[in-house]
Amino acid sequence: MQAKTAAKTKHKSISYSKYGYFFIAPFFITFLIFGLYPILFTFKTSVTDAVGWEKVLNNNIIGFENFRQLFDPSSLVYSKFWGALGNTIIIWFFNFVPQLGLALILASWFTDSRLRLKAQGFFKVTIFMPNIITAATIGMLFMSFFAYPIGPVNTFIQTASISNAPVEYFRSVAWSRGLISFIQWWMWCGNTMIIMIAGISGINPSLFEAALVDGCTSRQTFWKITLPLIKPILVYNLTTSLVGGLTMFDIPHMMTQGNPNETTNTVARFIYMQGFTGSRNFNMASAASVVLFGIIIIGSLLIRYLLNDHDPKPAKAGKGGK
Amino acid sequence: MKKALALVLAIMMMLGCVSFASAEDAKIKLVVWSFTNELQGMIEKYYLPQHPELDIEFQIYPTDGNAYTTKVDNLLGVAEGAVSAEAPDVFTLEAAFVKHYVESDWTGDLKSIGFTDEELAGAFPVMAQIGQNAAGVQKGLSWQSTPGVLMYRASLAEKYLGVTSPEQFQEKVKDWDTFLETAEELKEKSEGAVKMVIGSGDIWNAYQYQRSQGWVVDGKLVIDDELLDFEELCKTLEQDDLTHKGGAWSEVWFAGMRGDEQTQTLCYFLPTWGLHYTLKPHCAEGADAPGLTEDDIKALSDEKGGTYGDWRLVDGPVAYSWGGTWMGINAQKAATWDDAKKAAVHDLIYNFSLNEDWLVQYAKDSGDFVGSATAVKTILDNGGTPNPFLGGQDHYAIFASAAALANGSLMSEYDDTINGLWNDYVTTPYTKGEKDLDTCLAEFKTAVAAAITTITVE
Repeated sequence: MQAKTAAKTKHKSISYSKYGYFFIAPFFITFLIFGLYPILFTFKTSVTDAVGWEKVLNNNIIGFENFRQLFDPSSLVYSKFWGALGNTIIIWFFNFVPQLGLALILASWFTDSRLRLKAQGFFKVTIFMPNIITAATIGMLFMSFFAYPIGPVNTFIQTASISNAPVEYFRSVAWSRGLISFIQWWMWCGNTMIIMIAGISGINPSLFEAALVDGCTSRQTFWKITLPLIKPILVYNLTTSLVGGLTMFDIPHMMTQGNPNETTNTVARFIYMQGFTGSRNFNMASAASVVLFGIIIIGSLLIRYLLNDHDPKPAKAGKGGK
Repeated sequence: MKKALALVLAIMMMLGCVSFASAEDAKIKLVVWSFTNELQGMIEKYYLPQHPELDIEFQIYPTDGNAYTTKVDNLLGVAEGAVSAEAPDVFTLEAAFVKHYVESDWTGDLKSIGFTDEELAGAFPVMAQIGQNAAGVQKGLSWQSTPGVLMYRASLAEKYLGVTSPEQFQEKVKDWDTFLETAEELKEKSEGAVKMVIGSGDIWNAYQYQRSQGWVVDGKLVIDDELLDFEELCKTLEQDDLTHKGGAWSEVWFAGMRGDEQTQTLCYFLPTWGLHYTLKPHCAEGADAPGLTEDDIKALSDEKGGTYGDWRLVDGPVAYSWGGTWMGINAQKAATWDDAKKAAVHDLIYNFSLNEDWLVQYAKDSGDFVGSATAVKTILDNGGTPNPFLGGQDHYAIFASAAALANGSLMSEYDDTINGLWNDYVTTPYTKGEKDLDTCLAEFKTAVAAAITTITVE
């Protein structure tokens, strides 16, 4: 006991900050092995001729041939890759716009001190619930809901006399894409809403009180106070949603397998099909991953740029910005 | 002091482990990988009690989402991984990917561990062919064989077609043209209430055996003429409303097996396992509940108007095979085996694929259709297996003739991918009338070329 106290007094200036590194070390070690290494390996594989498992480690560097094919309209993979990107963006757009809109409305209702909604906990949990079910399960669920020619939905529309014949939903482009968008929206809306609520709760209540005293309507409060002040949260949400949306895989893979006619084939599914079916074209799958990586970075920067303040304030500019 | 004690204890424990391990050395250690617990169950029940010298470690990875193949590929694709303690000595291969592995260098020649030509001759040709690589080296053997037949409902056949025996019905479906004529006749006589099959996709598993060449010949994609006939047949079936337009494994597929009023269906193309594990458990509502005996199912079917006893088997238009599980050996690890281990693996695989005594016993216990032609012959000679589900018909006799005729040499390592693309790019859009055949074929070829860069597509 005495010795310890002595040591403490002796090194009074000791810095405990190094212990912080111990605490973050597990993450970084795991990340380096399971995150960074595969990423670098993907970059390397993208410039090789690695086709088939045998060549994953023993391959030759062939330069940017794989990338040339991805960007060359006369190549086989060109239309498949860019078509898949188009599908992904369409599906993501129709998922994200309603998702953000509804999440914002719900979040502002839940945080509105004038509304004082009852049973908030119940509603929040119910809205969040779809998010805790595995995407694959939901994919299977919807697949059997909309089964053709006999399925719950088809039986319903026939008994309710909405239609005489069963509808083959998964041969219709609009239905297939729409259902995927809907599932994504339905699953992630609760999550977005919780983050929005956290963002709105972080706003200083005196601002809302001041607005109330000044006679602001709810709508004015939302547009003039809430929205501008949760901009950082919006940027975060948009960015994570962009990353999640562009790498969308499980629902389309489980539910439609890219059908009909590749209209629900997403980029991640294109990568999977290249890498893990057929002749296992790991090189092409890696190259496509790298291109997708680039697209996501550009998209994220664009969101940051568009949503950040651009008021020409000399003081801020001097600090070098955020 | 405590630390020192702990250290001593730890060292003692480690020593204990080591000495324990050396005592176990006398045992032959085998690592067996599979994607179901079927083989494990058989080995534990029938084999290990007689072979105390074996120490078998089982690993089971599901086939869902390619988990099993990815695991195998990851380990066997790397030289160090393939001989590691974790790697399998023996691993099972499913029909979907067996060709991929027997064509690779990762699976070993079974003759290298002592199989002889005489022994191998006992297997059904179709199963043996699928377990061979292109050069004819036997690399996989199956404990079951899975010949496919046509299963039809006797009551419907009699009511609408006036057919009273399986022989007569076989005449009605002896080839695909007659099959289509019968489908049209059925539509006319039943006024569209009863359909020939659930969906046009249902006949693919059989029809692909009609081809004269496989998908890839000399490194080139081949579209056999029979496939174009297949498309025309499917399109006619679909457009003339001769099917219920359902897919395999869908709700309507099972409804047809139950004989539901809205989905009366005459024919199903199913293999051996389809009879016991698909058709019978779905012959009536609730018949798939676990633990039901044969009598329970029959009673249930009688009560709910099911189809128990109404099914008959015929060869159908073509002899085919659907499914199967092969056992193969890890070639890279096999190179390090001593003679005792080679003999042990040989005996293990031999017992489950070709050992007549065991297979006859197993067939009696499980009702499975086994992979050895000689064992099947013995079972038939012993009086066969009249099946009340088939109104007393002997399923073993019909399966045996289909197993002897099916041609396994058409299968290739590319089948899984190409069959999927053929269905997505040609069969579905063409039969539904969304696109013309030339467009479909062109898109199919592009898709194949993009997916499989190691073959030529013209």
